Amino acid sequence: MFQDYILDTLIYIGIYGILAISLNLEAGYTRLMNFGKVAFFAIGAYASALLSIAGAPFLAGLVVGILLSAMFGFLVALPALRLRADYLAIVTLSFGEILRLFFLNEQWLTNGPMGLRGIPQPLFSVLDNNYLVFYTVMVFVFLIICYAFSEKIMNSPFGITLKAIRDDEDAVFAFGEDTFRFKVKVFIIGSAMAGISGALFAHYIAFISPDMFFPSLTFSVWTMMVIGGSANNLGVIAGAFLIQFLERGTRFIKDFADLGIEPSNLRIIIIGILLILFILYKPEGIIKERKRIL
Amino acid sequence: MILRVKDIKKSFGGLIALDGVSLDIKKNTIVGLIGPNGSGKTTLINVISGFIQPESGSIEFKGMDISSMKPHQIARLGICRTFQLTRVFRHMTVLECMLLASKTHDTGILKLFLNPGEVSKKQNADIERARNILEALDIGHLGNEYASSLSGGQQKLLSFGMVQMTQPGFVLFDEPVAGINPTLANKIFEKIELEKKSTTFLVIEHNIDILMNFCDEIYVMNKGKITAFGTPQEIQCNKSVIDVYLGG
Ligand SMILES: Nc1ncnc2c1ncn2[C@@H]1O[C@H](COP(=O)(O)OP(=O)(O)OP(=O)(O)O)[C@@H](O)[C@H]1O
Ligand SMILES: [Mg+2]
Repeated sequence: MFQDYILDTLIYIGIYGILAISLNLEAGYTRLMNFGKVAFFAIGAYASALLSIAGAPFLAGLVVGILLSAMFGFLVALPALRLRADYLAIVTLSFGEILRLFFLNEQWLTNGPMGLRGIPQPLFSVLDNNYLVFYTVMVFVFLIICYAFSEKIMNSPFGITLKAIRDDEDAVFAFGEDTFRFKVKVFIIGSAMAGISGALFAHYIAFISPDMFFPSLTFSVWTMMVIGGSANNLGVIAGAFLIQFLERGTRFIKDFADLGIEPSNLRIIIIGILLILFILYKPEGIIKERKRIL
Repeated sequence: MILRVKDIKKSFGGLIALDGVSLDIKKNTIVGLIGPNGSGKTTLINVISGFIQPESGSIEFKGMDISSMKPHQIARLGICRTFQLTRVFRHMTVLECMLLASKTHDTGILKLFLNPGEVSKKQNADIERARNILEALDIGHLGNEYASSLSGGQQKLLSFGMVQMTQPGFVLFDEPVAGINPTLANKIFEKIELEKKSTTFLVIEHNIDILMNFCDEIYVMNKGKITAFGTPQEIQCNKSVIDVYLGG
């Protein structure tokens, strides 16, 4: 039982780790203020869940989930990335909420507030007892792939251009780069990764509903990135680990002490204070951005 | 003529920053641009490089009209500009800045996975070239330092190195040696002179001695207008120039 709890925790760390890496590409390295991360997570979750329920194999659902998230990433990026940075934040935040309302109201497709039940779990019948072990390994394989992919592109000429855009976009024009194309591309990649994460989430819990996709999820991922160390892929995974740990830890406290406060509120307070402390005293996060030695 | 600027007008609100400016710049020359503070020199460079749209006038580079192009498109034609206030990429090392400036690098993502060998081969060649340029500027030992940790003078050197890295056909320099000690400033201009065989330069500079030594021709600006033009000798003897600029 305790082992199951650990594995469950690890699975969530992996799922959030992938989200944090995807946000890190956009916001950490390129300073694109995506406050609608949850939207692309939800698209991956719903697309993959709907296809699986309709009988498609897990991998087919996953691929379609990734492609749809990427496509919506492109569609949102196209107008939004032409705007100033603060407008991007507003547009993405609104997109996430509009999408959630869409899932809530389009009953014919999403079953509305009741959510989608019985999302098939890949290889469930075969593995039976070892299912959690299998799922943990699978999530971590995807986490490692996303990590390696991000590291690879950030150490390439493409990544250097992203970092330069973050520091001074105008100066990048002077070297002949069309910064808009770079921003759109990284936004598509980040959205695709969020799609992976969403699909893994949906098939793990086997039930999704619109109230799992509030903007608070986006902010939770932002917290992981800021506390973990933006522009450091290991750092943001550490952030995912720490936030998961805190979220779960606060649930236990109520078994040992009389808090006089709802544990989920306590969690928000603790994470909020931690975030403020980090921004004030350790803005580079747990693991700071690594200098690339050439 | 490699660059022809004709009758450029640009105003900011009520202020006329460029009031019908025309230039003709010959290939493989160093052309100086002088004038009092606020006379419109930087604005002119902003217009030529596409960062600011003029209200009227035309700009031709190698016979091609570039006046409606975007900054990155103009840069791709080989026109490289620097900024008066040196702009460094704070979170990048000196070598990373040099790599960004390279025109030969591959920024494609697919290629990174389909043909990683070629991408890294090109990058290694770029690093090699960058090291040589930095070495020649006496900042070779700073390659792995953050650009923001360099002194003001070193940042000017880096920005000059980045210009060399782009292998430009035409350079718009906005005060490349401001704040640099005279010895080093002279050294930079000696390097500019060496590059003259392959590149053309338009240089804003306040130091008269340097301009007299290195420029082939000089334009003098005042209040948004070109008020004098000629060889350094001619400019030195020009009464109106002495009044508005040299005399003050
Ligand atoms: N973006 C802008 N918006 C408003 N006014 C501007 C802008 N850029 C320049 N100006 C004004 O236009 C005039 C010309 O400025 P410019 O920077 O071209 O002068 P300059 O010759 O480069 O001066 P300096 O030697 O001080 O660098 C100045 O009065 C300046 O205040
Ligand atoms: Mg100026």
